[in-house]
Amino acid sequence: MGLLTGKRVFSIMALCMMVGLLLLPIVVALPSPAIGEEAPAAGEEAKKEGDKVEKGRDVYYKTEGIVVGAPAPKTTDGPRDYPRYNFESRVLIWFANQQHLYYGSFVLAVPIFCMIIEFMGVVTKDKALAKRYDQLAYDFIKISLTAYSLTAILGGILIFTFLTLYPAFFSYLSGIFRPVMHIYALMFVAESGTLYIYYYGWDKMKEGFLKWIHLSMSVVLNVIGTLLMFLANSWIGFMMSPAGVDEQGRYLGNIWHVIHTALWNPLNLHRILGNMAFGGGVVAAYAAYKFLASKTDEDRAHYDWMGYIAMALGVAFLIPLPFAGYWLMREVYAYRQQMGITLMGGLLAWLFIIQATMIGILFLSTNYYLWQAMGRMRGAEKYQRYIKYLVFLLACGYMVFITPHTMVMTPAELKAMGGQQHPVLGNYGVMSAKNGGINVIITTTVLSFVWYMRGNKVSTVSWAKFGNIFMGVFFTCAYINIIWLAVYGYYIPANVRVGLSVPQVATTLSCLFFMFALNSVMMRGAKQMGPIEWGKISARSQYALIMLATAFTWMMGLMGYIRSSVRLFWHVNEIMRDNSPWAYTHTVGFAANMISANVLFFWISILFVFWLGSLTAKKVPVESKAGIPGSVPQPAASH
Amino acid sequence: MSALNNPVIAVIVSLIISVAYFTFVDHYLMDMQGLDYWYLFRQ
Repeated sequence: MGLLTGKRVFSIMALCMMVGLLLLPIVVALPSPAIGEEAPAAGEEAKKEGDKVEKGRDVYYKTEGIVVGAPAPKTTDGPRDYPRYNFESRVLIWFANQQHLYYGSFVLAVPIFCMIIEFMGVVTKDKALAKRYDQLAYDFIKISLTAYSLTAILGGILIFTFLTLYPAFFSYLSGIFRPVMHIYALMFVAESGTLYIYYYGWDKMKEGFLKWIHLSMSVVLNVIGTLLMFLANSWIGFMMSPAGVDEQGRYLGNIWHVIHTALWNPLNLHRILGNMAFGGGVVAAYAAYKFLASKTDEDRAHYDWMGYIAMALGVAFLIPLPFAGYWLMREVYAYRQQMGITLMGGLLAWLFIIQATMIGILFLSTNYYLWQAMGRMRGAEKYQRYIKYLVFLLACGYMVFITPHTMVMTPAELKAMGGQQHPVLGNYGVMSAKNGGINVIITTTVLSFVWYMRGNKVSTVSWAKFGNIFMGVFFTCAYINIIWLAVYGYYIPANVRVGLSVPQVATTLSCLFFMFALNSVMMRGAKQMGPIEWGKISARSQYALIMLATAFTWMMGLMGYIRSSVRLFWHVNEIMRDNSPWAYTHTVGFAANMISANVLFFWISILFVFWLGSLTAKKVPVESKAGIPGSVPQPAASH
Repeated sequence: MSALNNPVIAVIVSLIISVAYFTFVDHYLMDMQGLDYWYLFRQ
């Protein structure tokens, strides 16, 4: 009893310490976010000296403020501003940045999954299932722990690369963000401390009240992680759409303006969803790899289940991702129309065709996995004969979605086709059709999920027949509405057409929310045709999961490159010019090779991380190998 | 409820609900943006 009380006190103290760690950076920095560190001193001094007050106008907020920072340096191509090795500095910084971002995204996403799965384990009434969830959450955090160290190392490499190759730019950026730089560092300390207590306290806090304390720790951990990401996002937001400085780049004393730029919030949302989808993909690929390497049915069952959960969580965040991307693009257009045109209709437009291809692959892989996964449940055969229609819908949506507006051609080809636009296919390469294409793809994915969820069940509610017919009619009407809006867009002016994407998105989301809810109600107390036979799934499905993860990784690299390239020859858009010899936009081919190299390096290094994780796992006594063949093994009693 | 389980009635009721819902969504969400969903039909 005394021991238990001691544990409770210790747990509460640990939780309080974590909250304290979370609040510490904010408390330390309280005077800074309000008015900036130097603002009061500068302001008072200026008041005393009267005529020496120099005021500047915020380039974005258009407010006046007292100048407290130095102007953005005007760099020149030379060893002073751009010291270099015998190699393109931009490629080095690109590589360091991308690797840090991959690992950062991974270690941000996985603890969020952990929190969700641990919560599911705590609230579920089925004790065996609760243990399985708990084991799964533990497996997840174990993977991220090794990756966490690597993230910190890569962060260090990134800073050294900046200091070595871009000292003038880094000095300016760190000067602007000086009031919050130490917050970032302290948050990192808080994140590390919280993560280690959370991980090593797993066994000590596995039941009752202590489990809730442990779960609360995961919430604190994720709040810290998310705030860290938001702070990092403010730097790239500032580089793309600067605020809080005057036209010379001089800091005006309001750090909130510098952080809260035009693109900060859209970037925050887009990144958090993207990171979650990416994290889900990587964990799913890990599970797929373990599944394929498994020697026993029990292991196959466990990793099949793990892969499914990771994939489902990843896809849950993938579905709203295109809409968050749409918001980001809309804000980019609102901030600078020219920037939007460079992205979507100019220099970088072809990269968006590649992006569309990757998005299509993500959804195709997801659907393929779900159809394969239906094979492990008795009763799902009834849906197999309809899958060909879903393939047709997905293929049509995909082909429209990836159709380019104009083609890159030789003069002879141009002449033969009669213009840059194909006389027939060119009609599909416009936003109206593309919006229709992607919404058809997402709606079909929702339908696949609904079929998967009801695969081995037969509804027993009295209105089951009506429910099934209603679902069928609702989905059909949704498809018709999406396609109708896409076609309608061709007959109305551009300023009206642009609004049609909103009801299109709403139609897709209606299917997602209403049909999931209706299906859940219909399947309450449903008759089971048989259990889900975890592990009895084709190897092909696991390759689909690996494909999913690789496509996520490649797309993240691509989108990062696009977002960064849109600044063209600016370090900080319209404030600080990039005068290095590499201030030009690479060819699509070079960018694709670079992205592929980054993806390859990430996957080789993460395989090493997985291997390291498996070394510790081998030392754990296996207590769970006595399960029924084909069922999910019981987790070990302790870790 | 038994009448709703009649396939013909179920299809008709479902169609009415779905068409009305999506028309409302189209009209309302365009209106919210200050745009006219019925633009082409008013010309």
